[in-house]
Order: sequence, then C-alpha cells, then structure tokens
Amino acid sequence: MKEKPWYPIAYMFVVTAVPSALLIGLSEATRERVRMNERIAFEHAVLLAVDPALPADMPKKDIHERFVEQVDTNTADAAGALKHMRDGAVAAYALPIAGQGFWAPIKGVVAVDAGRQRILGISFYEQSETPGLGAEIAQDWFRVQFTNVAMDAGPAPVPFKYKGKAGGKIDAVTGGTQTSTRLERFLNAQLAAWRERMEGGDR
Amino acid sequence: MSAAPGKQTASSVTMDALWSNNPIFRQILGICSTLAVTNLVLNTVVMCVALTLVTALSSLTVSLLRAATPRSIRMMVETLIMAFYVIIVDLALAAYWPEMRRNLGPFVGLIITNCILMGRAEAFAISNPPVLSFVDGFMSGVGYSFILLAIAVVREATGMGSILGHPLPFFGGPYWDKWIIMVMPPGAFFTLAVFIWVFRALSAEKEAKRP
Repeated sequence: MKEKPWYPIAYMFVVTAVPSALLIGLSEATRERVRMNERIAFEHAVLLAVDPALPADMPKKDIHERFVEQVDTNTADAAGALKHMRDGAVAAYALPIAGQGFWAPIKGVVAVDAGRQRILGISFYEQSETPGLGAEIAQDWFRVQFTNVAMDAGPAPVPFKYKGKAGGKIDAVTGGTQTSTRLERFLNAQLAAWRERMEGGDR
Repeated sequence: MSAAPGKQTASSVTMDALWSNNPIFRQILGICSTLAVTNLVLNTVVMCVALTLVTALSSLTVSLLRAATPRSIRMMVETLIMAFYVIIVDLALAAYWPEMRRNLGPFVGLIITNCILMGRAEAFAISNPPVLSFVDGFMSGVGYSFILLAIAVVREATGMGSILGHPLPFFGGPYWDKWIIMVMPPGAFFTLAVFIWVFRALSAEKEAKRP
C-alpha cells in the first residue's frame, strides 16, 4: 500500500490531523490559565511600579486582591494611565509603556506621583532581551534607580547615563547598550506625551 | 565503543550518546542553543530538560511510525512530530511556569530546529526499534545536557559571580571583577571551544587507536 501514489498524501493528512487536534485541545484546556498568568503579570507590574518594595514572592492570589483593592482601572480621566488609590484619592499614576527592545517588544509600567513631578518606580512584565545583559532592565538594581527620581521638563523626563557621555540620571546597562537606548527612547517619548496630555487637559 | 550495526544495545547506545558520539563535542550539533542559553544555569537546566524530553519522545514516535512512514516524506513527518512535542512543552511552560517561558524567549520554539533531534531521528530512530530509539534520544539529550550545564556553571560563575542566582563565596565578592564578556556571546564561544578541546583531548588516545 505504501507504493500507491495517494498513500503519502493520506498518511501526511492523518499524521498532521491527529497531533493538531491534540494540540488544539491542550491549548483550549490551558487558555484560561495562560490568560490569567498574563493578567497577573500585568497586575504585578503595576503594583511593583507604584511600590518598589513589594515582596518578590507574593502569591498570585494576593497580587490580584491587592490590585483590585488599590488600583482604579478607569483610564479615561488619566490619559491612559491607571490610578493607584489611597483613602479615596489618587496616590500615583501607573502608565503602561511598550516599545521595541533589541530582540523583541518590551512592555512595562512606570509609576508617577500624583503631582506628576517624580517617578516612583518602574517594572516590566514582558521582555525577551539577552539574559545577563539587556534583560538586566528587569532586575532590582536597574529598576531601583527610578525610585523617587524627579522628572526633567521637556521631551526627556528621565535621561539615561552612558559611559563617556555627560548628564543622565539612570545608569544604562553595561553590555546592553542597544536595550538601554531603545528603552530610554520609548520610555521618555511615552512619558512626555502622557504628561503633555495630562497638562493639556486632554484626558 | 560503538557496537556493530544491527547489534546495538541500550548500554552501547548510552555510551555512544554520552561520550564516544556525544552530540556537542563529537558531532558539534545543537550549538545554537549551547551558545544562546548557557549564560544562566537555571535557564540551561530548563532548556536541557525540555530538549531531552522532546528528543526522547520524538525518537520513540518516529520509530513507532517507521514501518508506515513513506520514505519520500519521512523528514516532513519527523519535523511534524518534533514540532508537536515542542509545542506541548511551550504550552506547559506558558500555563505553569510563565516566568521561565519569558526567560527562555524564543529558544523553546527553536528546539524544533535543533540538529540533535533530526540527527537522532534520521541516524537512529528511523531504522531501530522503539525502546532503543527512546534510550538513544534520551541519552543524546543527557549527553547534550551535561556539557551545557558545565558551560553554564563556568559562564554564570565568572560572568555574574553566582550560580542559580545565588552569589558565590569568591566570585560574588569584592575580589573578583566580574568578567562580563563571559555572559556575552563571545564568552560562549570561548568556553565551548575550551570544553571541546578538553573532552576531545581526553578521548584522543582511543580515537587514535581506531582503525
């Protein structure tokens, strides 16, 4: 039968159909869990940005409960930012940021105080930069540099510091210059645009 | 050490995969991931487990289907089988260990293109019985893994001063200036070359005696 001209086509069809059906089933079975993981990763990033001292090993359930309790997700009156609430008032804004990294998109959250003068923190929930190099942007030593940093006026509220170049507030990652420059570019552009929208009343 | 063709046993297949025909320092296969993921030990461990499982199960499945698979489309079928198992690993990581999936980035998906998988399917599983093919695939994964882990330990210790993220007594302290180049791509080439040199030197005598 293997010699029949139709056999390879029928065989390939069956060999493709069976694993595909199994994978579709598995994908469906894990879909909700994957969605929940993505949601929790985002919620954790928001909480970590507004409170850099958040415990790293916080259980997923606690993250979600704290997010629901403390974060107002209505972004219409905050030019796209989420609001971190305390005693009924806005304590901080959490602005989702996203841009192209060296290898793949970087997505994160930057938190700004209610007076829009200082950055409170930054965190990332999606990035595929080189482990040990560009991926260091997600490590504590890099993120902690953003804690309570006063924002400059103009198009670059938080300029990065590079070896051999004057100025800057945030140490770029050694060995991760491409990641650093790309992050600096889209972070500042999105932060400045958000501030402008907030100041212009275009919320 | 290799047994004569047609007289393969589980122990000869194991010795071949681990030493005399090791995928990394003998066949120089799977080098892309060897270079890419070995700058952190934890990422390397997960990559090794994933590759070992996928190679073993792919070899088993290719062997089970070998009598029915037409020769003209066998490589398409083999690639499909490998992709099937890799996607299962990817889905499992996405559902149960999303942080690790984020760390490994595209390299889980790229297991499909790892030469070790196709190499074992074509060189062994397509013409050997299922259990022996499973052992061959599994042991090839183990042979790949122990070299990768050795490289990862050297790179993370010298480049980051840590193992599995925990600072080491000397390398993590003030007397060791971290060799950043070791966690960068050139560090992978240097370390891999040294390992290939050492392991081939260790087996050079036996190689010289071969007819």
